[in-house]
Amino acid sequence: MKHLILGAVSALALTATGAMAQDYPSKEIAGIIQWGAGGSTDTVMRAVTPHAEEVLGGTVVMQNITGGVGAIALNQVAAGDADGYTLLMGAENPLLYKVMGLGQKDYSDFVPVNVLARGTPILVAGKDAPFDDYAGMLAYIKENPGELRFGSTGPGGLPSVVTAMINAVEGEQDVIFVPYDGDGPALTALQGGAIDVMPAVLGAAIEGIKAGAMKPLVVFEEEPVEALPDVPTALAANAGYDKYLPWGPFFGIFVKAGTPDDAVAKLTAAYKEAAEQPEFLDLMKNRGFTSLNLSGAEAQTFLDGWQSTTAWLMQDAGLTKSSPEEFGIAKPAE
Amino acid sequence: MSPTDHDTEALQDEVTDLHEHARDTRRPGEAGFTILLLLASLFLLWSAYDISGFEALSAPGTLPMVTTLIMCITGGLIMLRTIKLPLISGETFGQNILPLALVIMAVLLVCYGLLLKPLGFLPTSMLFLTISIKLLWRQGWVKTLGVSFLVLVIIYVVFRIIFTVLMPSGIFPEAEMLQFFRNLIGGGA
Amino acid sequence: MDALSAFFTVFTDLKLLSLVALGTFAGVYIGAIPGLSVTMAVSILISFTFSWDVHPAIALMIGIFMGGVYGGSRTAILLNIPGAPSAIATAMDGYPMAQRGEAGTAIGITTVMSFFGGFIGIIVLALAAPSVSQFALTFQPRDYMLLAILGILLVGSLSGESLVKGIFSGAFGILIGMVGMDPLTFTGRFTYDLPLMQSGISFIAVMIGMFGVSEALAQLHHLDTPAIKQKITRIVPSFGTIKKYLPLSLQTSTIGVIIGALPGTGGDIAALMAYDHAKRVTRKPSRPFGKGAIEGLVAPETANNAAVGGAFIPMMTLGIPGDAVTAIMIGALFIHGLNPGPMLMVEQPDMFWFIVGSLVVANFFMLIFGLTGIKLFTKVVEMPRAVLIPMIMLLSIVGAYATNNSITDVYWMLAFGVLGYFMRSYGYPLGPVILGVILSRLLDDNWRRAIISEREDLGRFFHGIVTSPLSLILFLAVIFIFFSQTPLWTRLKARLLPARNEEAR
Repeated sequence: MKHLILGAVSALALTATGAMAQDYPSKEIAGIIQWGAGGSTDTVMRAVTPHAEEVLGGTVVMQNITGGVGAIALNQVAAGDADGYTLLMGAENPLLYKVMGLGQKDYSDFVPVNVLARGTPILVAGKDAPFDDYAGMLAYIKENPGELRFGSTGPGGLPSVVTAMINAVEGEQDVIFVPYDGDGPALTALQGGAIDVMPAVLGAAIEGIKAGAMKPLVVFEEEPVEALPDVPTALAANAGYDKYLPWGPFFGIFVKAGTPDDAVAKLTAAYKEAAEQPEFLDLMKNRGFTSLNLSGAEAQTFLDGWQSTTAWLMQDAGLTKSSPEEFGIAKPAE
Repeated sequence: MSPTDHDTEALQDEVTDLHEHARDTRRPGEAGFTILLLLASLFLLWSAYDISGFEALSAPGTLPMVTTLIMCITGGLIMLRTIKLPLISGETFGQNILPLALVIMAVLLVCYGLLLKPLGFLPTSMLFLTISIKLLWRQGWVKTLGVSFLVLVIIYVVFRIIFTVLMPSGIFPEAEMLQFFRNLIGGGA
Repeated sequence: MDALSAFFTVFTDLKLLSLVALGTFAGVYIGAIPGLSVTMAVSILISFTFSWDVHPAIALMIGIFMGGVYGGSRTAILLNIPGAPSAIATAMDGYPMAQRGEAGTAIGITTVMSFFGGFIGIIVLALAAPSVSQFALTFQPRDYMLLAILGILLVGSLSGESLVKGIFSGAFGILIGMVGMDPLTFTGRFTYDLPLMQSGISFIAVMIGMFGVSEALAQLHHLDTPAIKQKITRIVPSFGTIKKYLPLSLQTSTIGVIIGALPGTGGDIAALMAYDHAKRVTRKPSRPFGKGAIEGLVAPETANNAAVGGAFIPMMTLGIPGDAVTAIMIGALFIHGLNPGPMLMVEQPDMFWFIVGSLVVANFFMLIFGLTGIKLFTKVVEMPRAVLIPMIMLLSIVGAYATNNSITDVYWMLAFGVLGYFMRSYGYPLGPVILGVILSRLLDDNWRRAIISEREDLGRFFHGIVTSPLSLILFLAVIFIFFSQTPLWTRLKARLLPARNEEAR
């Protein structure tokens, strides 16, 4: 292991168990991934971390701790020490825990190290669907109320947010929601005809679209995306989406609030550099993610804005267990 | 053997397989266990009803109710059948179901579970192995400690070093120790 | 021509060849140790092989996958503790053989049959991947539900002394699988408002507890019985033996490939279904099932290795994982700059043939490593029980912890170990419990999806079943197997068909 050359300095670490800040890292860092092995959060974290390890001069041992929409992992990191030796590698879900009644903690109990990238939501239909575009879909729903099957991934997931946006902009749509464990299984079901329409993240659907196994209806962006330049944007379809876009699921790395500044600074620098690696940028582009590489105050602003937009969208759609107001989540500016 | 014999024999096998050819006696403690399982099943049925009641066919509580209902019915059947059986002769609860060695091991396991977090993986495991091997094996201390240490080292190397499973470290600074050795190797290379 | 050269890449490159060998060797041991899983090993390899080329990284992973699926049978036969879920059925006849001192024979047959099953899986992958994956896609939620019910009916084969106790155990297993936050609506089920119940009960913790700790506790009764001396002189089965089981193994391999290719079902269900199938079609097993029948080893071992090839079918043709391991491999391909999906086979057919080639090589290495080094394994069984039992217990604890890095799982594992011991003592079969846990989500989720899709209308639901050929076949199979397990049917059959009663398959 070539990147373990810390030399004589950290040899002292054995005697000084307290791990002085300037020696950071003096032992392995645990990286707790909120989602299961093979998922997109897992892939992204396992791709970016080896670069960061080189910069950091330490080892990050990644573990998947799943369950409770990621809340199990978040609570475990929040219950541990704020010493910088446990990283939380997560996605956007925790920002909705409070309003959805899934937990009492969210990213406000953490310091963002890096918000790596953001995904683009896209609405796809099965290749045999009786319509080819967004307007056609709306017309079909109007003519056949309660027949069209939408895939969903439970309250708070990307499909529920996208559907809430559609309902807010176009009015309530009478469709059936068939629940799946994630967008992977749901897109499989879409190809098999078990569901008709699925709001998914672009990266998960792009290969199927290119192969003609599913039809893209609309991307939820302000500008057409590079990977699928011919697919119309939601903004072009209805100017009402302006209020919510850009919006998308994201990946980020966090440490518990109260972690020594020195450790946060070293981690931030390491992941910042890692997220600039061309290989990583290529991977993000191939999977249809927009690279963000935000840290510090920028990252915090991003998180706050995301939480405010989404929590209030869910509140207005009547999907929340408690109002965002109770947790001091500001209403987005009109 | 003629083909017909074949068939009858196969059929016989099948019949004995399918029919209840349960023991005609019950083991010590068995009646109590069946009653306990039935009570637990009834409680679980009530909890299942509590999830969503008879809300909808697709409600989260529908299949749990079906499942626990099956548990109650079969649990009841088993209990009725079991309590009627005569007690098996020559077996006692303390000797054939829960002998002392078993109780001790179970207690040791519970202690292990309780101590793992505060004490850490290495000390707890060493304690567990030493005590249990000493009690079961009845050999000298040197041999017991040697074998325990060897077993622990193997498990540690496989899980902690090769598979990087981070066991609770507790009072023993094993992560720092590991980093120290890694640095020695890394620095030398 | 390109396909051929891609296929032979592994054979001609010494570095790749040795990586597959290393992976397979490690896989056998990873599979054998309960709590070390192939899924875990492969996900660690993703970061480990990050800076490598794609070929060596995939070669290593494939070796581990192939070896790991096979390795689970080792501890199942020797210790009655399945090293992996797919070896649960193997223990039922493998361990009785070991108790007669025939562990060598059992391991020999297991190895050769795993090799055979693996081969069938690879052949189907190589020749028929696109059509099999199209078939797999046609499975609707209601078909998955019917498949799960079909699986649950296996309880009949897995119950020992009493069918009623088997049904109780099976229902209990399904219940265990439902504990926790319902993934579809986030409603708590049997959580009693305790945070530790929210993530549910880990399937691996249940399995290790029920088979590992409870077996170790039961072994305490035989502390002073000397270990059985194992004959390991005749390991490789004779050609005649192999020929005898060829028809059965072809059938069970087919089950393995199809179940493996379905997204959401894997080698564990395949092995249990194959065991049930063997019990149904074998009229005169070498010994009664559950007492050391060779057929009881052949069926699950061919099926779970055939499922490996099967799992690659949707992965390579559609970019859809066939099981947990292929899900991680898809991630690995992404990291290495490939885009697994329907276009992969069109744009990069080389990758497909490279994987097929690696699987073939891994299968051969599995045969070699499986037939050698048996002495070392049997030595483990001949260790004094007083050392072996604490060691198994410690391994079970670490294994339960390692799957999700959670102490809660250790507590669950211990609780199920003690419960499993009592269930064992009072004649409740443990196989159905595990079967129930494995199938719980498949049954519950798909039942709900199916009925939601039909707007909660049972009439529409049954209309859907009778109008789809696939659903109808599955539905009839469910009804037939259900009735063939009731005593009524046996009596009816005996009366109506006194001499010829062969159709019960």
